[in-house]
Amino acid sequence: MFKLNLKIALRNLWRNKGIAAINIGGLAIALAAFILVTLYFTYETSFDKENPNYENIYVVGITYPEFKTNYVAAPFAEAIRQNFPEVVSAGVIKDSAFELTIKKGKNTLFTKKILQVSYDAAKILNIQPANGLIKPAGETERLTYLSTESMKTLFPNKQDDEPEMVGFGASTSGISGVINGSIKNNLHSNFTFDGVSIGNELGKNDHYNMNDYTIYLQVKPATDVENLEQKITGLYRTELLKDKSEEKSIKEIKGISTFLDPLANQHLKPKAGNDAPYKILIAISVLGVLILVIACINFTNLSIAQAGKRAKEVGIKKVMGAYRFQLTKQFLVEILMQCLVAIILALIIAELALPRFNSLFQVHLSIWDTANGLFWKIPLILVLITFCAGIYPAIVLSGFKPSLVLKGNFSTSKQSYWLRNALLVFQFSMAVIFIIGLFIINSQLKYMRSEDLGFNVNQVVYVKNLTMFNNPAKFGSIDFEPVRQKMLKVPGIKSATVATFIPGGQNGINSYAANGIKANIDFVNVEFDYFETLDIKLKEGRFFSNKFKTDTINSAIVNESAVAKYGIKNPIGKIIRGCDIDYKIVGVIKDFKTQGFENAIQPTIYTIKDPCGSFKTEILLKIEQNKMADVLATLKAQWPEINKLDGEDFRYVFLDELYGKLFKKQEQLESVFFTAAVLTIFIALLGLYAFAKYITNGRLKEIAVRKILGATDVQLLKLINSSFFYLVVVANIVSWPIAYVVTNMWLKTFAYRIDFPVLPFVTTTLITILLTIITVSIQAKKAVNANPVDALKYE
Amino acid sequence: MIKIENLEKVYKTEEVETTALNGINLHVAAGEFVSIMGPSGCGKSTLLNVMGLLDKPESGSYKFIDTELLTLNDRERSNFRKRNMGFVFQNFNLIDELTVFENIELPLIYNKVPAGERKKLVNEIIERMNIVNRSGHFPQQLSGGQQQRVAVARALVTKPKLVLADEPTGNLDSSHGNEVMELLCELNETGTTIVMVTHSSHDASFSNRIINLKDGHVISEKINKSRNEELI
Ligand SMILES: Nc1ncnc2c1ncn2[C@@H]1O[C@H](COP(=O)(O)OP(=O)(O)OP(=O)(O)O)[C@@H](O)[C@H]1O
Ligand SMILES: [Mg+2]
Repeated sequence: MFKLNLKIALRNLWRNKGIAAINIGGLAIALAAFILVTLYFTYETSFDKENPNYENIYVVGITYPEFKTNYVAAPFAEAIRQNFPEVVSAGVIKDSAFELTIKKGKNTLFTKKILQVSYDAAKILNIQPANGLIKPAGETERLTYLSTESMKTLFPNKQDDEPEMVGFGASTSGISGVINGSIKNNLHSNFTFDGVSIGNELGKNDHYNMNDYTIYLQVKPATDVENLEQKITGLYRTELLKDKSEEKSIKEIKGISTFLDPLANQHLKPKAGNDAPYKILIAISVLGVLILVIACINFTNLSIAQAGKRAKEVGIKKVMGAYRFQLTKQFLVEILMQCLVAIILALIIAELALPRFNSLFQVHLSIWDTANGLFWKIPLILVLITFCAGIYPAIVLSGFKPSLVLKGNFSTSKQSYWLRNALLVFQFSMAVIFIIGLFIINSQLKYMRSEDLGFNVNQVVYVKNLTMFNNPAKFGSIDFEPVRQKMLKVPGIKSATVATFIPGGQNGINSYAANGIKANIDFVNVEFDYFETLDIKLKEGRFFSNKFKTDTINSAIVNESAVAKYGIKNPIGKIIRGCDIDYKIVGVIKDFKTQGFENAIQPTIYTIKDPCGSFKTEILLKIEQNKMADVLATLKAQWPEINKLDGEDFRYVFLDELYGKLFKKQEQLESVFFTAAVLTIFIALLGLYAFAKYITNGRLKEIAVRKILGATDVQLLKLINSSFFYLVVVANIVSWPIAYVVTNMWLKTFAYRIDFPVLPFVTTTLITILLTIITVSIQAKKAVNANPVDALKYE
Repeated sequence: MIKIENLEKVYKTEEVETTALNGINLHVAAGEFVSIMGPSGCGKSTLLNVMGLLDKPESGSYKFIDTELLTLNDRERSNFRKRNMGFVFQNFNLIDELTVFENIELPLIYNKVPAGERKKLVNEIIERMNIVNRSGHFPQQLSGGQQQRVAVARALVTKPKLVLADEPTGNLDSSHGNEVMELLCELNETGTTIVMVTHSSHDASFSNRIINLKDGHVISEKINKSRNEELI
């Protein structure tokens, strides 16, 4: 019997090969998208999952009244371990504060990130050097390991894993050290690095105001984390009270608490960060599922459309004595086979699309990696889509009454009319929402690209540098002026400045008081020409200038937001106090968007002298466009003379490239959305195309009769189109509010955004109506053009 | 063999109720060939469907060699049908995707006849029906008469006790119609009971007995003397 059913199924498919191909192809494309999304989802949610203690590792963070952070003072780790028996182990980690140059003979390595890891943290976080984790001796020994790639750069011919002597910084610095071996940099981990430096205890003697480590705890399984959290908060407050470095009032301390954040949260939704990556992942997953649902709907709808044709078969088989469940099974198996073919195609498509996908999301996913669990997920997906796509047709078809269907003029259209239309409307609604979303994302991105940022990063070069240019001197920093003069001598350099932070990065935060208000605001410590280099607009007053002696002592420039925050009227000449200095405001600049469009511009103060500030290391140069190459070559050649302390290696980035990275995430989202929208529309149209074919085929006789009775082609096309036309209109109306809510939610994530546009709604409606009419008319045209006599004879 | 008593069947649609069968009483003896005639819409097809267990009546009794069939559940009805009955329809109702051979084979498959024996039985009947060189063809490649012969072959291949035929010649010209009628007669002579619905008195003349229906009633019965004499 199976063989016979198979024959019927295959011959049926063959007879409708065009439609079968559309059906299976559409499903295959959707499945491919779904498989990619599954791969991505698994990857993104399994960072550090290989760690055997994955479930029991927590970050200790601090909640301040204004923000949360993972940066804590190092000694707190040991305090926690000693006080709470449920804490098995506690360790600390710190990023390197600056980029480091390592030299071995002629080979030079620029490291961006050398992780400082305590021995305990290395154990907890499974940070394992190639030749095993060794406990450093005593308090001061550091064991340094470089990632395999870094090792390659530094020691291209090294075979063994013996320690090596290397030089740090400029070759003249005279600082040297030992590299103890290599360590694998696992990209599928929260802890990536160019190298790792392991010490027994880090920051042991730090005070509680030196919050620059991250604490990781490993707790006993089944620990009551909430309870532990409370106990740790209690401990932290006591420690703060004991600590003399930071005199915080009891009231202030009461406002501070700690939290425990599972390791599992760190990659996507750290409590002390934003959960945008998590939201994006969820959005992408929802898109993947939706596309699959839409493809399944095609299947269901086409099966229903075919039902009239299959009804006779069902009737006859029942007359011959087939049981209902046999027929249900037969139809399910039929759909299962088609889904199987679709899955195989999908795997091929996914494999072909992976390189593009990987580069878009900057990941290294592979179908063949067993860790992704596809080998059990695929069969599950197969069963699931077979069920979704096939269960309704299978039940409806097998339920036909032979006495009805065998009468000859049986029509199934009535029974499934509502379901069929509902499914079509659903499909089109999805397509409509995606198109509207696409338009709106596109408008916002266009706005972001064209909007005046208030500063200009073109032809600005950001020179990486290790020398600190704080004046008055702070830890061996030097005056910037001589260096600047040397640089300005290079023909083509228009201006040169140095600051603590570059636009687009994170600024520092300190407490300032003005107009009777005390608040934490952003600060940037700069040098002369900072505003000129970045082409920032002045609102009133003046920029810093070496003509004014006080500028290097107590002058400040603030932005419009700061003026607004403190409510200062006539700000020029007013005092803003911070770090025990009364700064005089000499200028107000217009707000400029350094933090992209998501974040509102922060109230910011710019000063030259700031004992509480940061290190001025970020050199910014404005260079004449046509002399760019020459300037860079000259700087490279003369760098050791210009900036002796930085060593001989001139390293730079174009600031506009750096700033462009801020757009990366949004552009990624746009790509995903674009693909999703195109796929949805494509699959929905495929479905509609095939569906329209069935519907018109079912109406061939009606069309023939109408034609014989004198209907014109246009009238007939209108007749066939009208039912689909109404469906699309309904779909549009249904999806408008949904699209409005979803896109508005997205737009609200931007501090600076377009006014909510109406045009995309209208355009989308027109587009979908047009596409529908074209699709349906292609099918209808064939039926209308056919000779009516043939249609009647066929019956 | 068949005892039908007080059979009632009502079709309910949104607007109207149609009483298709209104207290039918009918006995058919084993080996009989019965024709059912009557004006269009009088309930002939409905009666045949009920007899073939394709439809359920509202009330009444239907006994087949002492088994009451109306109380069976769906599964038992299927089983009973596939073991005891064969069907021939006016519009042939062959499966378009299957060849002649496969169409005839289908009921055997549902009766779980082993493959070897299936082949033998199908080939036998194909030979008897004179359609040997058509066995690999699909239904659309055959003439109406040939299609109906295939349908008859399919009805007979399981050697049913009862064959139900609803206007088997309705879509055929008279010569093809006669071929089919002769087939049915031959079948009847080998002992199969046949109940046939027809509009043609010519066709009815092949049967032993003619039952006239009107508005869901049996209004008259006529023994077909000529045929009975012929038999004797
Ligand atoms: N599915 C149905 N729903 C509603 N009414 C029905 C249905 N099938 C048949 N009828 C009604 O039942 C009555 C008997 O129908 P039936 O098909 O048995 O007639 P018939 O005697 O076979 O007619 P014909 O000679 O034209 O085939 C008719 O009045 C018909 O309208
Ligand atoms: Mg009838």
